[in-house]
Amino acid sequence: MIVKCVIWDLDNTLLSGVYLESAAAPPGADPAMLAAAGTLRDRGIVHAIASRNPPEAAVHAARVTGLDFAAAECGWGRKSDAVRRIVADLDIGADAVAFVDDDLYERAEVSFAVPEALVLAPEDMADAVGWPEFSPGAVTPEARRRGEMYAQRRRRLLEARSFAGSRDEFLRYCETEVTIGPATAADVPRLHELSVRTHQFNTTGEPVDEPALRELVASPAHEVSTVRLRDKFGDDGLVGASVVSRDTGTDWTVTLLMMSCRAMGRGVIEALLAWLAGAAGRDGAATLAVPCLVSPRNMPLQLALAGSGFRAAQSGPADRPVAVFSRAVSGPAPELPGWVIVPEAG
Amino acid sequence: MSGATAPEVADELRDILVRATGREELRGIDDQQPLFGAGVGLDSLTGTLLLREVRRRFGVDVAGEDLNLDALATLGTLAAFIAERAG
Repeated sequence: MIVKCVIWDLDNTLLSGVYLESAAAPPGADPAMLAAAGTLRDRGIVHAIASRNPPEAAVHAARVTGLDFAAAECGWGRKSDAVRRIVADLDIGADAVAFVDDDLYERAEVSFAVPEALVLAPEDMADAVGWPEFSPGAVTPEARRRGEMYAQRRRRLLEARSFAGSRDEFLRYCETEVTIGPATAADVPRLHELSVRTHQFNTTGEPVDEPALRELVASPAHEVSTVRLRDKFGDDGLVGASVVSRDTGTDWTVTLLMMSCRAMGRGVIEALLAWLAGAAGRDGAATLAVPCLVSPRNMPLQLALAGSGFRAAQSGPADRPVAVFSRAVSGPAPELPGWVIVPEAG
Repeated sequence: MSGATAPEVADELRDILVRATGREELRGIDDQQPLFGAGVGLDSLTGTLLLREVRRRFGVDVAGEDLNLDALATLGTLAAFIAERAG
């Protein structure tokens, strides 16, 4: 499993001392930990804090390390609860976090309560940056800016909480722009990264390597489309994609559909499904089919499909159930919300 | 919560929907109210929050039992689906 977020203890871990023992001159960043953290940030891995300290310690840590923390849990509760809250806050799997703490007891407590997490001591870190868990492969512009994008997400969520009105009204208020267009060779590294990192919105659950994606993008028998997302809080870049196989007769089959969970709740998957239905209809298809390997992890995708008028028929073996979600597309095309931009029609 | 009746479940569902969406007016929706589409406007995010909370409070895995999520047609159908299985 690829680590998406490293959750750091502060005292004698990310900081080279104990914050509360040196109030006059709080400790600086531990140079070895800071070097590891910087390397991981450049690979698109985000950082968070779980510390037995007052909240000011997180502000201090951000200042002395220069890192953008996607989440900070400061307090005197159990570290495993802090880890769980960060996992929920960032909407990632518990198996996508590493927890670093110098205290053996804390490490044992987190290992026991959150067995999916990768639990490490500070002395492991120099070596760990070379482990496959910390090597997501392609490093895309989206990946390098991930910490910053989580910060934008927090501001968006805070405004959403106090916003009176429907989700559509909120998306308009945020000046949401969803842009759907054909993929190019330049998109291949990010498409590969999405295939590795997306779980909640992924129909196959299989990573697709870059040569295979380059072939799909160039193939006349396939149509690879990308979805980009931005609003007044920030630009999320390329957040989703679909691959349509055109060699299955008149019907359109979506052989891969994937979207970053960061784009969840922002109208993106619904826009992509509505656009696909319209494009398939204009192409003369009667049906748009989306085969989907169903698992508890991609329940959000199941919801998006059901909410967009797709019906499922089960096929495949019981231990690897594939559901083919499909909808008729010969009638009038579904209406696209006003914030969806399709530069090239069809 | 065990042995809950469909109207009791529906009340809890209204409460969960208000929390998931932040929209207090959803406390007033009736049993015939569709959950997808205009009105409640359930999407993949709010739908996931709703179904996770349903599993936590009632021990019912709606998505696992029903690929098509037909139970989510209206507030009333979801409440009946849960009441039949909970407890």
